[in-house]
Amino acid sequence: MQNLLSINNLRVGFSLGGKSIEAVKGVNLKIGHNEAMVLAGESGSGKSITSFAITKILPANARIIAGEVYFGGEDLLKLDEKALADVRGSSIAYIFQEPSSFLNPVYTIGSQISEVIMLHQRKSREEAGLAALELLQQVKINDTQRVSESYPHQLSGGMNQRAFIAMSLACKPKLLIADEPTTSLDVTIEAEILQLLMQLKRQLGFSLLFITHNLSIAKRIADRVSIMYQGKIVEEGSCAEIFSSPKHFHTRELIQAYEKIGKL
Amino acid sequence: MITYLAKRLIAIIPLLLGITLISFFVIRMAPGKPVMLQQSLNPKISLEEIKRLEKLEGMDKPLLVQYKNWLWNMLRFNFGRSISDGRLVVDKIMERLSVTLTINILSLLFLFLFAIPIGVKAALKANTAFGHITTFLTFLFFAAPTFWLALLAMQLFCIQLKWLPISGITSLDFEYLSWWGKLADLSRHLVLPVIVSSIGGIAGLSRYMRSGMLEALSQPYIYTARSKGLSEKLVVYKHALRNALLPLVTIVGLSIPGLLGGSIIFESIFSIPGIGKLFYEAAMMRDINLIMAEVVLVAILTMLGNLIADISYAYVDPRIRYKK
Amino acid sequence: MKNRALISGIVFIIALSCVAAFAPLLSPYDPAAINQDNLLSAPSSAHLLGTDSLGRDLLSRIIYGARISLSVGLVAVGIATLIGLSIGCLAGFYAGFLDMLLMRLVDVMLCFPTFYLILAVTAIAGPSVFNIMLIIGLTSWMGVARLVRAEILSLKEREFIQAATAIGATHFRIILRHLIPNALTPILVNATLGVSAAILIESGLSFLGLGVQPPTASWGNILIESKSTLGVAWWITVFPGLSILITILGFNIFAEGLKKEIG
Repeated sequence: MQNLLSINNLRVGFSLGGKSIEAVKGVNLKIGHNEAMVLAGESGSGKSITSFAITKILPANARIIAGEVYFGGEDLLKLDEKALADVRGSSIAYIFQEPSSFLNPVYTIGSQISEVIMLHQRKSREEAGLAALELLQQVKINDTQRVSESYPHQLSGGMNQRAFIAMSLACKPKLLIADEPTTSLDVTIEAEILQLLMQLKRQLGFSLLFITHNLSIAKRIADRVSIMYQGKIVEEGSCAEIFSSPKHFHTRELIQAYEKIGKL
Repeated sequence: MITYLAKRLIAIIPLLLGITLISFFVIRMAPGKPVMLQQSLNPKISLEEIKRLEKLEGMDKPLLVQYKNWLWNMLRFNFGRSISDGRLVVDKIMERLSVTLTINILSLLFLFLFAIPIGVKAALKANTAFGHITTFLTFLFFAAPTFWLALLAMQLFCIQLKWLPISGITSLDFEYLSWWGKLADLSRHLVLPVIVSSIGGIAGLSRYMRSGMLEALSQPYIYTARSKGLSEKLVVYKHALRNALLPLVTIVGLSIPGLLGGSIIFESIFSIPGIGKLFYEAAMMRDINLIMAEVVLVAILTMLGNLIADISYAYVDPRIRYKK
Repeated sequence: MKNRALISGIVFIIALSCVAAFAPLLSPYDPAAINQDNLLSAPSSAHLLGTDSLGRDLLSRIIYGARISLSVGLVAVGIATLIGLSIGCLAGFYAGFLDMLLMRLVDVMLCFPTFYLILAVTAIAGPSVFNIMLIIGLTSWMGVARLVRAEILSLKEREFIQAATAIGATHFRIILRHLIPNALTPILVNATLGVSAAILIESGLSFLGLGVQPPTASWGNILIESKSTLGVAWWITVFPGLSILITILGFNIFAEGLKKEIG
């Protein structure tokens, strides 16, 4: 079967105080249709940068050195800014680590969701507003009207992340990239959000690239797992393979660390 | 919101009390008595005459009593009479207030009109020649004494180029001009004072705006905006700018003491009959009643400015408007 | 060390201090010497920056003016820093009523139309260099006070301070020992910008005739003549103002460099 996304030999460099550092050193990654791929690794291993590079939303001091990102038959890295913007938020959407700081503090939840609908689906403000309410319902929010009219600081982290998920799914993306989406939440909320995410995935049928440093999450949700270490993917396989017979020493280290504290 | 407003209004009372108390005592206790001026103007004035004058002004009583009386009078808008010409202080200030306020409000408008775009552009082009040049120029103008800039501008525009009138706010034939003629005449007189008095502020504010914009552009929600597929224009002007503009509202309040302080020098340089020049003359004449009244007035204007700034800030920033 | 701003700031301040200290050696003429044959003469080899309406050498007056500017700046900031430190320490150590009272005082002073008060007091008390230093110092200590108070409050929260207090060491001594290294650079930044502000205020006051009185030369009071000589003697306007501008720039660059050091 044709892959939905395939990243070939991606290299991303950073310039920090005059020095340039290569953070992603030749990453290859394939994600199939409907697949849940977990990209796991320590912080600083280059996972987030890899995911940001897919649609080129990198920070100003980062630069893609080489590589290809095939999505729907075209190399995203070769698209011009306008064509790429059409992909972002519509076919490929993101959710991030801390919903409260990744949502704009001066706009209401509703208007931030409507914005993406108005942009990609050419709907009027009223239509987009109604669609936003439906989306909020879809992520299991009860008082959608109130939440829609709220500002991010008025809601809890879990509620913000639900709203964020609603926003990212607004245009029915084929690929959802989730960058540590539960790291800032407490454990019970984390479980709820993961459950919601997996349920929506079944329901809507999108592929998921889930980035985490937490192997117990990987074990719970992954179809396939890639382990990233020092800018490279050192091991890749089905969830069962990775956890039953890890090959790379770093994967073994990670698994052992989690087993020690009884989290796997 | 209403409790917030009420709280802020109540907080003004002790502030005002503090300001009047300090200025009253500092000015009264400063060595050199106001009535001495009359003595130096008229060396033949007798000791009894001084005593009589002091008694007339109530200056023979203990300071605290004097303060109490003064405060009580102030509450009834009675600031006494000017020592120099015997007119009511309130009248003298009122007839000159509008000129100063007009100039300062125009300066504020100018300030925002120029500082915001300059700051935003400088932030967006932080690492280009434009960015470096604006950074340098704002740093330069921020350091330049504005009264000196005024003198240079006068030299250039009024004397060398003869484009603008050198002083005052109206020409001699002002009375005979048509309505439009009057407006044109006024603008010609005001353009230099307004521009020069806002130039230091423009430099300062655009530096502030630049760093605020850079800060906003590095915030996580900017990644979100990009990931939604918004054009760079929308990312910058809808998501970053709105956040960077919020703190600017408070700057209005904070820049008022500086602007009004600047009025003293500007109005003296350009011979503008406003409260700044009035204060300067009062200080030269040691006209205590007038001095005190103006200090209170400027303090009240400053606090009003702060209050308006705080309220508008609370209004524009939802994090304060809807505090949990 | 790559902090160019800091280095150029230091070099400038040292240079300015040398000019002020060695004014009698550096200035080609007596700054107060009136020369009837040389009124308002343009810059020439004899008078590099020209002369004023009394025939006094402008360069010499500007060199002597550096003394006034620098000493007003330093002394006023010294006074302000001392007051700010004491009030900040008091407020920080003794939380509660005294803290509340002192912080309200800070609020009052921040709302104060400072320039109006300074002008009024110098007018009434008589414009002398000492009065100017004192009144500028008395009206510009609020920044330091807030800074020191905030630093003390945050130190009080730190664990090692609380632990040390628990074993009986006095609060005061420990905090003071940590306060100084922690708050030194921010205070220095504040003081440097304060010097700039004080120099500006002094020049403004002198320009209005309520500051340093002639025949003593100050950059501000040289400029008094500027208005009556506009279009006649540009050098009287340009050079004193340029001296003020360069001095303020120097101190601001130094402050900028210090800020970079804090990061």
